Amino acid sequence: MDPKALAALGEFLGDRLRTSLETRICYSYDATGKRFLPDAVAYPVDAEEVRRIVLLANRYRFPVVPRGAGSGFSGGSLPVHGGVVLSTERMDRIVAIDAENLYAVVEPGVVTEVLKEEARKAGLFYPPDPASLKFSTLGGNIAECAGGMCAVKYGVTRDYVLGLEAVLGTGELVRTGVFTVKGVVGYDLTRMLVGSEGTLGVVTRATLRLVPLPEAAATLLALFPGNREAAGAVNAVVAARVTPSAMELMDRTAIDCVLSMVPMPLPEGTGSALLLEVDGPGDSVARDADRLADVCRSRGALEVRRASDARGREELWKLRRSISPGLRRLAPVKMNEDIVVPRNRLADMFDFLAGLAARKRVRIVNFGHAGDGNIHVNIMTSGTDPDETRRAGEAVEEVFRKTVEVGGTISGEHGIGIAKAPFLEMEVGPVGVSVMKRLKECFDPNGILNPGKIFLSEEAVRR
Amino acid sequence: MKDGTLSALTALCAKCGTCRTVCTLYPERKAEIAVARGKVALLEAALSGDDPDGESVQEALTDCLLCGRCERACPNQVLVEEIIMKGRADLAEEVGIPAWKSILFGKVMASPGATGAARKAAAAAERLLLKKVPTGSGLHYRFPEGLGAGGRTVPELPARGFVESLGKREGAAGQVMLFVGCVFDHVFPQVGRAAYETVKASGKSVGVFREAACCGLPAMVSGDRASALACAGENLRRLRAAEPETIVFPCGSCLLMFRRNILSLVPKGTPLHEDALWVADRSVDYASFLLSSGVVDRLPDPPEGGRAGEIGYHDPCHLSGTLGKGPEAREVLRRAAGTGFAEMAGADRCCGYGGTFNVRDYPTSARLGEGKVSHAARGGTKVISTACSGCVLQMRDMAARVDPSLRVVHIAELVAHALARGGTGIPRR
Repeated sequence: MDPKALAALGEFLGDRLRTSLETRICYSYDATGKRFLPDAVAYPVDAEEVRRIVLLANRYRFPVVPRGAGSGFSGGSLPVHGGVVLSTERMDRIVAIDAENLYAVVEPGVVTEVLKEEARKAGLFYPPDPASLKFSTLGGNIAECAGGMCAVKYGVTRDYVLGLEAVLGTGELVRTGVFTVKGVVGYDLTRMLVGSEGTLGVVTRATLRLVPLPEAAATLLALFPGNREAAGAVNAVVAARVTPSAMELMDRTAIDCVLSMVPMPLPEGTGSALLLEVDGPGDSVARDADRLADVCRSRGALEVRRASDARGREELWKLRRSISPGLRRLAPVKMNEDIVVPRNRLADMFDFLAGLAARKRVRIVNFGHAGDGNIHVNIMTSGTDPDETRRAGEAVEEVFRKTVEVGGTISGEHGIGIAKAPFLEMEVGPVGVSVMKRLKECFDPNGILNPGKIFLSEEAVRR
Repeated sequence: MKDGTLSALTALCAKCGTCRTVCTLYPERKAEIAVARGKVALLEAALSGDDPDGESVQEALTDCLLCGRCERACPNQVLVEEIIMKGRADLAEEVGIPAWKSILFGKVMASPGATGAARKAAAAAERLLLKKVPTGSGLHYRFPEGLGAGGRTVPELPARGFVESLGKREGAAGQVMLFVGCVFDHVFPQVGRAAYETVKASGKSVGVFREAACCGLPAMVSGDRASALACAGENLRRLRAAEPETIVFPCGSCLLMFRRNILSLVPKGTPLHEDALWVADRSVDYASFLLSSGVVDRLPDPPEGGRAGEIGYHDPCHLSGTLGKGPEAREVLRRAAGTGFAEMAGADRCCGYGGTFNVRDYPTSARLGEGKVSHAARGGTKVISTACSGCVLQMRDMAARVDPSLRVVHIAELVAHALARGGTGIPRR
């Protein structure tokens, strides 16, 4: 990077601009395990500083890569072309919680769980619950349009973003959206920015919709002989006109992965587990839970366990929450995909995945948010056998093809980043890609923001 | 930097970011280099030959309280404490450790006589040079501003240590061995005395480990493996020779050293490692001993009413967190102080001491500590009790800074008082 650019940044950032190798190493990775060294790390404290960083980036042509907690799974915060990592860690204030109009105003560095907790204190609920909610930031959630367990009932991050303040690639500060439920004034720039992975603008403030906190909840764990039966139950639940706040599926390999950490007796012949949750007013929760249990039994559940108190519910949830970290015990490298298929194609997809694993001789572990058709397909490899790695790569491509073929999407909640860039066109088509590139041009003509993401062959910053 | 064991340990980190949520230091630093994930990445870079400057990595590794929260929260069970200690030791061999530390650990702390002499010299110096501050926990002396210690206070050092105060045949040997620890011997001999008297109330014969060297934890966490090993060797051989049934530790950090750390310090397959296992097996925390030996059953019923809920308990990170011994001390307090004890606001918040961290970065350590004790005081606590020497040192200093009426004691002092006075709980001095 141009030393003059660093000097200009240092002038107003002071010691909040770091260029030491140690600090750069600490901002070179995310949860993908890949590493790209930035040239510098900046810790702005407000929108004005963000704006000045982006303006200098336009003048000196260096990349600016926004980063929240660096916990993403698609490489969204990796500085693949170097430049400045713009960390939002020091913009972490909850500006307001408006209990009358049901919204919160936050800075991007607020950790998701912190907002959820503050809302809870006001009797309110911010539903999005990505598995990383304890450490991931709202800015990152917005940039990747994070999902989570409760999406089946409550939707994903985009459904809670009413409006944004963002610095565009041009350095302009834009305010989008509304503070109200309704609003249709011109193009929906808010939705444009949500899920744009930091390639169009850096969110500096967000207005997030809140809903009343549900009174009660109940959790059920239903054990099935196989994924096909469990997937059948998911569809039967929807047909029974109950909307659970979570419907999580775990296949047998996933269950085995966590049994060592969370010992739990299982009925003989268990091949799949479904974790269901309902929330709402106390009496309706009890009634819905009964109905869910009946549906699961009628669809072949070997056993249904149920808990309504916090501790019992946590016991059941522990099984699900321990899977992702537990996978590392199975094999050191995981290719973690997050495909979504229409709910009624889940059973077919599981059959396809089982066949694929056999055909490609790779280990595939499936679990995830079956209620909304979102399956985490984890292809596990040793990382030391080149042939196995090649077969795994082929398997990933086949998974994506099949997903698109059945009317699904190749990323439900992780985003494209660098991990899925080669497959973008497979889903959105050449016209889709072309329109997206023209939009990028409009928001960020010099290609300053997060270059190398989403699009495969985009040249780095145009110098 | 090359170390096969270390790279095997760091390889388990999936860079998920969970450690960011629990790190004591992260809210102070708000930078990734503060948390375990960043430090692991730095070590990985150093190990893979990318070679960030050794001293800078050492500096980053030093900026850690070793409170262990990240390790306990880690979904992949990455052994962060071991990684940091090993990394510090490897780097100490590569770039050396500061001279003041090597003299302190190697010459002073490894020998029982030298610690006493050092105390006497320091006691004289503080009376001459520092300003007196009376506090609820006794006289403190305040460093003048501008000495790099920003208003730090230190307790008045006693003329005689606890071991020195023992009669010739007092606590000479017994079934139970009391490992007093440097701080409770030389700085707060009243704690050593209280622990001794209350452990004796078990009816068993109690010996005080008179020839103790420092437990070695300060040296080990500073990466000074040689000095730590010297301390460990001295202690283990003498403890083994004395053949106690049980070794009781009033200090949680000393206990951590003997229960866990020493086992990775002493080379496996050696006779000394055998000794380490033997000693670890017999080492217990003070509160557990009081419960298992029936001392608590000999306490008179605590008085009704009075100062309800004024006594709180602070969870030392090593004792309650790493070793999981939090409920035991609370049970002892309920038996000794009755309704005088209540759960303290923010009981499990780290006090911010971190041993040499407190010396290295006193302003940060003090902010964490002040936050800790003021939070407790706002919750209604008037007496903070705990069971670790570092926490007592830190919280007394912090109380002197924010609220000198706040008292900080070791649980043994409360138990001793209950035994002597019929259980009113709060001793008056």
